[in-house]
Amino acid sequence: MLYYFMRKLLAIIPMLLLISVIVFVAIQFSPIDPVNYLASPDMAANSQNLQALRQLLGLNDPIYVRYIRWLGNMLHGNFGYSIVDGSSIAKLIAMKLPATFEISFAALIISTIFGIGIGILSAIKQNTFIDYLGRIIGVVGISIPQFFFGIILIQFFSIKLGWLPVGGRIELGYKTWWDHVPNMILPSLALGISMTAALLRYARNSMLDIMSKDFIKTARSKGIPEWKVYIKHAFRNALGPTLVILAFRLPILIGGSVMIEAVFSWPGIGAIILQGVSSSDYPVIMMTTLMIAAAMLIASFLVDLIMALLDPRIRFER
Amino acid sequence: MAEQKKVKSSLALRSWKKLVRNKLAMIGVVVAIAMILASIFANIVTPYSPTKIDFANMTKAPSLQHLMGTDKMGRDVLAQVLYGGRVSIYVSVVGAVLGSVVGMILGGLAGWFGGKVDSILVRTSEIFLTFPNMMLVLILVAFVGQGVNNLIFIFFITGWMTPFRMVRNEFLSLREETYVEVCKAFGISDVSIMFRHILPNTISPIVVATTINIANYILQEAGLSFLGLGVPVTIPTWGNIMNAATSIDVIRNYWWLWLFPGLVISVFVLAVNFAGDGLRDVLDPKQ
Repeated sequence: MLYYFMRKLLAIIPMLLLISVIVFVAIQFSPIDPVNYLASPDMAANSQNLQALRQLLGLNDPIYVRYIRWLGNMLHGNFGYSIVDGSSIAKLIAMKLPATFEISFAALIISTIFGIGIGILSAIKQNTFIDYLGRIIGVVGISIPQFFFGIILIQFFSIKLGWLPVGGRIELGYKTWWDHVPNMILPSLALGISMTAALLRYARNSMLDIMSKDFIKTARSKGIPEWKVYIKHAFRNALGPTLVILAFRLPILIGGSVMIEAVFSWPGIGAIILQGVSSSDYPVIMMTTLMIAAAMLIASFLVDLIMALLDPRIRFER
Repeated sequence: MAEQKKVKSSLALRSWKKLVRNKLAMIGVVVAIAMILASIFANIVTPYSPTKIDFANMTKAPSLQHLMGTDKMGRDVLAQVLYGGRVSIYVSVVGAVLGSVVGMILGGLAGWFGGKVDSILVRTSEIFLTFPNMMLVLILVAFVGQGVNNLIFIFFITGWMTPFRMVRNEFLSLREETYVEVCKAFGISDVSIMFRHILPNTISPIVVATTINIANYILQEAGLSFLGLGVPVTIPTWGNIMNAATSIDVIRNYWWLWLFPGLVISVFVLAVNFAGDGLRDVLDPKQ
């Protein structure tokens, strides 16, 4: 068991290195020369000064030396600088991370409760009114653009009813954390509901799949109460594949949603990414990408872990 | 050979009958085709031009003259939706089909040859899958830039992995079948075995995957253009029309500028998803 986990954990490292190489190369080959924004205009007038600056910054070193230096900097928490305003990327991310975490966490909880709940109910009551309703929610949910859904929420709850603010986040001047909540509700709801549909469809399908298995028939024929069959026999087995989907959703906690953050002008990681892409700020784009890719790798490790815990056959395969 | 053809066509006929019986799928197919036709023949359906600026008719609410109203520059919203559909549907269909074709070819090569080719391609697809899809699309937008063809390129670069994996796995198992050995014994070339004898077995799941990709790309184009990162604003697309709704003033006062295009996108994607679900039920031999 331990051997299996160690092997899976170690497998992340080469993958992470490979991705870091890709990210490094992408920054290197981006069409912008970092020297041009570092040097002041009168200094840049003399190309000799630029050469000296390059030498000083080590930009003339061979590419592998620069890569190792870059990697070392990252391990020390220096993620490089934005080429638009020169701010530290590590600081930028640290500043925006709480905002993204708040709505993503709320959205994950909303989507998990409704997705699994409705999905399982829909499967148990197959071909009844509840099932039709669940299926309609599922397919309509994956068909509506996220931002359109966000706009509808704003129009209804903020403009028509005037219950909630249209967007933004209180960054300064709040007394307790609870002052954040009114601004949080709509973005969390929009993100959460749009994430519900896919999970719902998945939970329903895997539950239906399990319910048609022979061991469910056996359990029923033993006279076990129906609710116990659902919960102890079917749900436990349907949980595995559903948990996999959930684990792959964890990176959203740090990556956020570009779309939802844009609609609600929420100042999170998604907003950084959008800003980066619109202003061609390659270092910012690539560093956030690296961060999200790392989170994704950890998530896939978690998936392996969950699968191995649920299914002993996987653990012992070599 | 003639007999084989007959069997094939009757299977297609049976599938078609199954699809017709699936009401939701049929509604999906009909609605999607109707919307595609309306876009193609936009110049017949509406007398207005999507780009003609008319300052006499700015932000007019829906009326009999302008069924979906006009935007801030007096352009007819219905005309924009119809002409915008051309670009949006074109981008997503071509992107999805290209992705599937490339995925199939690479999957075939990986599954057939195995070894180094296989492991390199599988690794590559794994790296692509490490990034959340939207993230990958945004990175590519940053590097490739905006534009209709750029978007198609981006969609196919980010969409080949699923078909690739499907085809590869199918090839790996079919490669060992007796009929492949028989083909080899007859001296049929590798290429012919791969593309004429094995590949047709993988078509059904690929068709379903392509349909679902079309639906996703419609949503992605809309999202990207809504953010101002997709197709340049001068070209009407479904996402570009929605771009107006980035201002709270439009959401508050000019509901027709975002409600109609948003509904049109949702209905089209819904129709394609219904069709895709129906196709899956029909084409899945296990059902």
